[in-house]
Amino acid sequence: MATGKPLADVKVLDFFWVLAGPGVTRSLADYGATVIRVEAAVRTDPARTVGPFKGGRSGPETSGLWWNNNAGKYGLTLDLTKPGAKAIVRDLVRWADVVTESFSPKAMRAWGFDYESLRKIKPDLIMMSSCLLGQTGPLANFAGFGNLAAALCGFYNFVGWPDRQPSGPFSAYTDYIAPRFGLAALMAALIHRKRTGEGQYIDQAQAESALQFLAMPILDTAATGKHYSPVGNFDVNYAPHGLYPAAGDDRWIAIACRTEEHWQALTDLMQRPELRRDERFAGLAQRQNNRDELDRLIAEWTVRFDPIATADRLQARGVPAHVVATSADMVADPQLRHRQHFVEVEHGTLGRTWIENSRFKLLRTPARLERSAPAFGEHNQLVLEEILGYSEERIADLVAEGALG
Amino acid sequence: MLNHCRVLDLTNERGFLCGQILGDLGADVIKVEPPGGAPGRRLPPFLNGQPGLDNSIYWLAFNRNKRSLTLDLERPEGRELLQRMVARADFLLESETPGRMAELGLDYATLSRLNPALVYVSITPFGQDGPKAHYADSDLILMAASGVLILCGDEDRAPLRMSVPQAYLHASADAAGAALIAYYERLGSDRGQQVDVAAQESITLAGQSTALTALIDGEETRRMSGGAKLGALRVPLVWKCRDGLVTAVFLFGSALGPFSKKLVDYIHSQGGCDDAMKNTDWVGYGARLLSGELPLADYEQKQKVIANFLAARTKSELFNLAQQHGLLIAPLSTVEDLLANPQFKARNYWQPMTHPDGGPALTYPGPFARLSQTPIQYRRRPPRVGEHNREIFAELGLGDDALIELGHKGII
Repeated sequence: MATGKPLADVKVLDFFWVLAGPGVTRSLADYGATVIRVEAAVRTDPARTVGPFKGGRSGPETSGLWWNNNAGKYGLTLDLTKPGAKAIVRDLVRWADVVTESFSPKAMRAWGFDYESLRKIKPDLIMMSSCLLGQTGPLANFAGFGNLAAALCGFYNFVGWPDRQPSGPFSAYTDYIAPRFGLAALMAALIHRKRTGEGQYIDQAQAESALQFLAMPILDTAATGKHYSPVGNFDVNYAPHGLYPAAGDDRWIAIACRTEEHWQALTDLMQRPELRRDERFAGLAQRQNNRDELDRLIAEWTVRFDPIATADRLQARGVPAHVVATSADMVADPQLRHRQHFVEVEHGTLGRTWIENSRFKLLRTPARLERSAPAFGEHNQLVLEEILGYSEERIADLVAEGALG
Repeated sequence: MLNHCRVLDLTNERGFLCGQILGDLGADVIKVEPPGGAPGRRLPPFLNGQPGLDNSIYWLAFNRNKRSLTLDLERPEGRELLQRMVARADFLLESETPGRMAELGLDYATLSRLNPALVYVSITPFGQDGPKAHYADSDLILMAASGVLILCGDEDRAPLRMSVPQAYLHASADAAGAALIAYYERLGSDRGQQVDVAAQESITLAGQSTALTALIDGEETRRMSGGAKLGALRVPLVWKCRDGLVTAVFLFGSALGPFSKKLVDYIHSQGGCDDAMKNTDWVGYGARLLSGELPLADYEQKQKVIANFLAARTKSELFNLAQQHGLLIAPLSTVEDLLANPQFKARNYWQPMTHPDGGPALTYPGPFARLSQTPIQYRRRPPRVGEHNREIFAELGLGDDALIELGHKGII
């Protein structure tokens, strides 16, 4: 393709909101798709109200979460209670190859924008619906955020200490799994359409995608009745294995020894060669059995040093180790710099903002990051005039009607 | 559907899920294993604690919808056979430490000469190059390096990992989407390319953009059991109820405030709070806290009202109320609860597949998405070692005699 943009011919009308859906269309925009992100004029996308905020000050345009999830998309605001707004949507459906939405299942039907209605406008349309638990079933209309789906899936039970109530994964865990599967499903549908001309409907239950990541305990419990409970940072394949305190405030280093070579190198660097002859630590099983004492000894050593320096020393000996990275560590990480993980791009009202790069690299046709997320209604005029070819008069009528909010 | 596509899956345990996703979407995925079986087959834990090449839970979980071919890539004859297959393949998936494939003569530069349309997917801990490209890794190391671990756990102890390994599942799922973007491009250009997926970068999505905090001078997010701390603000997401734990959201702002209003209105209707709390403007409440107009103690006192309401009710009562009134509450589930959940049953989500040993059926998580015209199908249980050698070599035009000879030489 002459443009070097893999998805240059893909046009997306994007009603996704919050996190799980917009993560999919962000990837499409990275690789050249034209994505028109519709925002309800009367209802703020929650992603705009969650930080990190520029300068620590919340506001509709200052959320790094919003920038990151919607970079490269065009922003259009609509009040879907207005007939003029519905007419715009119908025209955009005619323009689009893909329509996405992540409302609760009843919402699109209520607006008359369900798949059966939209395919009458555009027979080869691909439509993707993404909601917590799917379009059918007794809980289909149970709406909410990824923490609710993560709880129902059972993720909370796998993050915790044995002597305490589960701590749980950070925030809305299923929202960070679903976009990856959503992208694969949508790309498969686009490939099918390009080869056959046939569109289709995709029902993504975010929980059903996320549960792929719990396949192991699901297989095990279903087959053997094994009950899983929190185990802290224990892992059956490693010892020592854990997060150890380092010099500084809330600084930690991760160390994971899988082989005897790892153990030997660690004890060398600790200058405790006698531990290798200590029968309490002879072999993986013994090190696991006596892990409280082992972890105490390692912590005595790690707490004296900077975690990045210790990790470098361990890595130089081939031992898996890394600082438990904070945002400041990520920004300074030479590997993430090498990969240009953080990039600064134009924003409609703020000048420039930082976003994270595409999570993967296509080496011949790299992601092109040209813009941050749209400011509220930033591209209303561009969409109506340049994409839909509306006249100035018609646009003025729509504004007067309040169709754009 | 990808049923016209052939995938050569050379991944070790870092990349199993990528090929499985392509297989779920219909591709013919050939898992290429060394003659003794993939090392991932020997990875504990095992079902019923019984080691065996077909009994590793990790192997079983992420190798359905694949065929198995054994091939010794350390030897020239093995590599030559692979190269013949590359000429007819659409995707090659690998997850070796950078440089290893070049040592084998199976790097992208070499294989793309045999098949310029090949989409060559590399899944590694930190990427194909850069100062950490050869860093030793593990699930724990990558979760630490991606900025996610520091956000999880109890504030008075070390951060906490999810005890079911996740790092390479994030990376491998991304790799599948990335591979399909490259394939879509190929439909127009007839050219393949290399896709470079670094687990460290891939996982960052699970940090909810907190990685940007230092760059934009934002308020730091810190870990807290069952929630998070935003500066001095403690945001609980896990609460005690009468018979266990639930997750519930009690926040503010234009998007989340209306949900708090619904929750507080309900509590008020049950006599659980006073009129002043009912009449609080939850949309603007957060701004008043942050400006110092209201002390943080006011939020903590209101959290106590919520806590008392939740503590007096069971998981099931609360989940019913959540459904009736649109509240953001759900019970924390065990795997047993999950398997009994009527929603997944009603959608026929759980998929039985026979165990490769022929033992009792295994229960798999079902399709990751429902595609109306090209539905995901679970066509093949995980293969036994070399189960499909004969049919795959027949497709290459190699008959039984050649197969026997390769077997004698230990190539397959």
